[in-house]
Formats: sequence, C-alpha cells, structure tokens
Amino acid sequence: MQRFLTKDFLSGLMFVAFGLGALYIGQHLAVGTPVRMGPGYVPRMLSLILLALGVVICIVAVISGSEPVERPKWKPITLVTIGIVCFALLFERAGLIPALVVLVLISSLAGEEFKLMEVIGNIVVLSILCTVVFKVGLGMNISVVQGIW
Amino acid sequence: MDLLGNLGLGITVAFTFQNLTYALLGCMVGTLIGVLPGIGPVATIAMLLPITFHLPPTASLIMLAGIYYGAQYGGSTTSILVNLPGEASSVVTCLDGYQMARRGRAGAALSISAVGSFFAGTVGTIIIVIFAEPLTRMAQKFGPADYCSLMALGLVAAVVLASGSITKAIAMVFLGLLFGLVGTDVNTGAQRFTFDVPELSDGIDFAPIAMGLFGIAEIVVNLERHLERGGAIKVGSLWPTREEIRRSIPAILRGTLLGSLLGVLPGGGPTLGAFSAYTLEKKLSKTPGEFGKGAVEGVAAPEAANNAAAQTSFIPMLTLGIPSNAVMALMVGAMIIQGIQPGPEVMTKKPDLFWGMIVSMWIGNAMLVVINLPMIGMWVKLLTVPYRFLAPAILLFCCIGAYSLQNSTFHVMQVAAFGVLGYIFVRLGCEGAPFLLGLVLGPQMEEYFRRAMLLSRGDAMVFLERPISLGLLITTTLLLILMALPSIKKAREEAFQEEG
Repeated sequence: MQRFLTKDFLSGLMFVAFGLGALYIGQHLAVGTPVRMGPGYVPRMLSLILLALGVVICIVAVISGSEPVERPKWKPITLVTIGIVCFALLFERAGLIPALVVLVLISSLAGEEFKLMEVIGNIVVLSILCTVVFKVGLGMNISVVQGIW
Repeated sequence: MDLLGNLGLGITVAFTFQNLTYALLGCMVGTLIGVLPGIGPVATIAMLLPITFHLPPTASLIMLAGIYYGAQYGGSTTSILVNLPGEASSVVTCLDGYQMARRGRAGAALSISAVGSFFAGTVGTIIIVIFAEPLTRMAQKFGPADYCSLMALGLVAAVVLASGSITKAIAMVFLGLLFGLVGTDVNTGAQRFTFDVPELSDGIDFAPIAMGLFGIAEIVVNLERHLERGGAIKVGSLWPTREEIRRSIPAILRGTLLGSLLGVLPGGGPTLGAFSAYTLEKKLSKTPGEFGKGAVEGVAAPEAANNAAAQTSFIPMLTLGIPSNAVMALMVGAMIIQGIQPGPEVMTKKPDLFWGMIVSMWIGNAMLVVINLPMIGMWVKLLTVPYRFLAPAILLFCCIGAYSLQNSTFHVMQVAAFGVLGYIFVRLGCEGAPFLLGLVLGPQMEEYFRRAMLLSRGDAMVFLERPISLGLLITTTLLLILMALPSIKKAREEAFQEEG
C-alpha cells in the first residue's frame, strides 16, 4: 500500500478521474472537423491529454516512488466547509447576523484553541463591522436579520 | 513616441482624489496582509475581487495593484522583526534581516529595505513606461496562430518555474484549461459541462474559484499547522550607518536589475527575483560567510529585486494580455469582470486606464515608504492578533464577497466546493498557480486555436509556417527540453528546496 499512497500516484489518479469524467460528460458534444470544430473538439482533446498525463504520472510514481501523502487532519477542512455551506443556506433565509454567527462559531471550532468568550467577542465585533461596512457603507441589498432589518 | 503626453495623461488620471484614495487603500490593505502571516496577496486579491465590482475600472485596478506591491513591502517587516515571512517572496529576507534585528539593527534593515524597494519600484515603473508601447505595437501584428503559440509559451514557462514535479504542473495547466471551457460555447451556443445549471452557462465565475483554491485552502492549512507567533523585536533607530549605506547601494542596484529582468518572464515574478538576487549577492561578496548572520546586502538586494519584479510582471499582462503569475491572472480576471478584454487593445482603447494605472504604481510605491517607516509601530502591534480571530473573519469576508458578485448564494457554495478541491491540491502537492493560468487562458486559447485552424482550412502546419508562431513554439520546446536535462533539473530542485 505504501507504494500507492503517495502524492504523485494519487494526483495521477485524480487527473485520470477528471479526464475520464470530462470525456463521459462531454460525450454528447459534437466533435466536428479540424476546419469546423464542434463544441466538443477542444474539450475532448484536452480530456485525452489530461488522461494520458495522469496515466504517465501514476506509472512514474509507482516505478520511482514519491513522497507519501500526509495524513489529512479532517477537522479543519470539514468544519470550514460546513461553516461556509451553512452560511450559504442561512444568508438569504435568516439574514447576515444569523449566518455570521453560525459561520464564526463553526470555523472557530476548527482551530486548536476554542475559548467561548473570545469567540462571542469576535462575533460581536464582526457583526458590527459587517453591518456598518456592507449594509450602511457599501449599501448592499442584504437583510441583517431577515424580517426585522 | 509621445512618452510625455502619455505620462501627462497618466498623471491627470492618477492624481484625482478618488484614485489617490484607492491607491492608498490598496497599499494599506497590501501592507496589512504582508504583515499578517497566514494570508498572501493571491488569497487577498481573490477575496477583494467582488468588491472591485462596485468600483470604476481604473480605481479597482489601482487598488489591486497597490495590494500586490504593498504586500511585498509589508512582508519584509515581519521577516525582519519576527523571522516570519508574510508572504513567499520575503522568505529570503528572513535569513539576514532577522539576524540584523537580533544585533539591534532592525531599524536600519527596515529602512534599507523600504528605500531599496522604493528605488526598485521606481525603476520598474520606468521600464514599463518605456517598453509598454513598442511591445504593444508588436503584439498588434499577432495573428490567431501567433497568439495561440504565445499562450502556450506562457503556460509552459509558468510550469517550468513552478516548484515540484513538472509533469504534475503540466497536468494542472490542462485541468485548468478544461475547467475554463465550462459554459456556453461561443461559436455554436452549445452548453458544455454545465449540468443544466443556469448559473454555469456563463462559465464558472473566476472569483469563487480563486477564493476557494487560494483563500479557503490556505486558511485550512494554517489552521492545521496551528500558526503561532513570537514577540517582536524592538525596532530601534531607523538610520543606517555609513558602512551599511555603502554596502547596500550596489546590492540594491544589482537586485533591481535582476528583479526587473526576471519579473518580465512568464512564471517569474517576485519570489524568483528575490531568491536569485540573494544567491547573486552571496556569490559576488568578498565575505560570503557573513550571509545568514546579518549581512546588509542580503536584505537590500532581495527586497529591491522582489519589488522590481512585482512591477515588471505587469508588462506581459498589460501589453499582451498574458498573465505571468497567479496575481496577474487575478488582475486579468478583474479586468474581465469590468468588461475590459486584456491585451494590446487596452493601451489604444483605454489610454486613461492604462497610463493612470502605471503612474499610480509609482505613487503607491512612494506612499508605501511613508506607510511603512513612520507607522512601523502600528504594524508591529497588529502582529499580536492571534490567528484564531483572523481565520473566521477572513472566511466571513470571503463568503460575503462571493455572495455580492451576483447576489447569489450559489457562488458561496462554489467557494466551499473549490475550497475542498484546493485543499486536495495542497495535500497532493499540486500547485494552484498553473491551474489558475490555464483557467484564465483556456477560453481565449480555444478561440484563437479554432480561428487559426479555420483560416488555414484545418492545416495544423499554420503554427509552424508563421515565423512569430514558429519562434514562440521553438522557445517553448527549448524550455521543456532544458527542464528535462539532468543538471538543470538538479539545480532547479535545489533552488526550490532552499525555499521550503
């Protein structure tokens, strides 16, 4: 397994996956001729090159080896992504402040240190700052709390 | 050549109240992010792209340019005072700058780096003024095939100068090109890779990609590393000694020259300039043993070089529309958002924007000396803000910025998705810059390619028959062959090892 859990081998696989995916999704696009290229000509060409490069990278990685991939820490990437998605879901339905509170809370949990009082302070400061800058200053058409302001 | 007339026009544009304000704002923000470790100029410019949407084109480009070279100045502050590079091109400044600070010469190191940067920035601006017009005139002779080959050269050069595996960087370029094709095909109106999502029919928006790929991924990696900072060293007197001045002047001159040259190269830019300048000084020095122990040349030369390169890297972008590094790719994105197609037409069609921006670069450089020296105490205080406060704030600004692009939460979702992709790239050691360049150049390159093939009736030989195109392709091939040579490969690996 050590031979395959390397940065190069996995990135080769990633390129192969993107190449195959693009070929599959773009299969209905007309290719056309070199003179009159259809919408699918260049995409297909690029997908095939990407596929080939991915295969080469994989083979070279297996033969000559490469750095092992670091074990990812799941907490930061997962929490940051969840925080942004929550923000996107809440922003129009509930308004700026609720979305902000949720995002800051969740993303603060992603760090090593979490002190509740500090996070609350951060939320208060950011709420005031964002309201003043984006709503009042730049006059963006957003509601601070849906249905209230 | 009507150089003075052009400069006059630039001065009238740059010296309006509005443009001066945005230049100052850009420089302040740039210095801020240069000082704060954990967020670089690429991520910041990506985050601020949506805001520029609300500004006039000239003001927004002036501000973005200010952020870019402001970060070069600010980065030196943290390098010298706390031995932490604020961004990549300041890494070498740490080597001798911090040692100078430990010997109580922090003030001198700061003022030499500021003055050196200002001098280099001035020279860089003059170079742009002199070369912009002839280069643009040359670019106007380009046919579709020539453009296509030029872009190929730009992409390959970006690959060559990326750190890490070349094959992977090339694959990243192709991946970027492929992502660039998402949307409606201009020639036939066919929907490509849009999954029937109406928001994707105009293509993937550039800003969410850049924010996710650079901003979010950078924050996540920093959170993993648990970024901590030590206390700053006292600044002391800003005046360098006569001996320090005597040794800095030639170093600044050499650094400026080297940086200006390397900045023009596609894929070059400040980081490469700073590293090369440091190596050169060490080679030329009579006392190479002093380097790493606080040699003043080791601060002066790279600081001058990175600023000169930051200025001259605008040349290919402004004259040919070809971005030479990730920041320039973002500038191209900003221009496209504003409805300006970057390329040789910008100078003829929008002379006020073009010359106004160039003059304001010099103004910005002058402002930075003032921002950086007398106000140094304020920036040092900022260093004490912990990252656990900054990270959520940066994320929040990203989200609001993405939303404000088109008042749609779809863009915020895109930021999240590209953040995950960007994180995967980091973990797999794939660089984002070649991807971004491919993404930006993809649609144009396809169009030129199709047009060239149409004009030649499907004969691909057209790329070899036109002399300009042939020359560019030969250069491209040479670059690739050079990279494959074992001795150069080794030297390149060593150069990037030093960086990491």
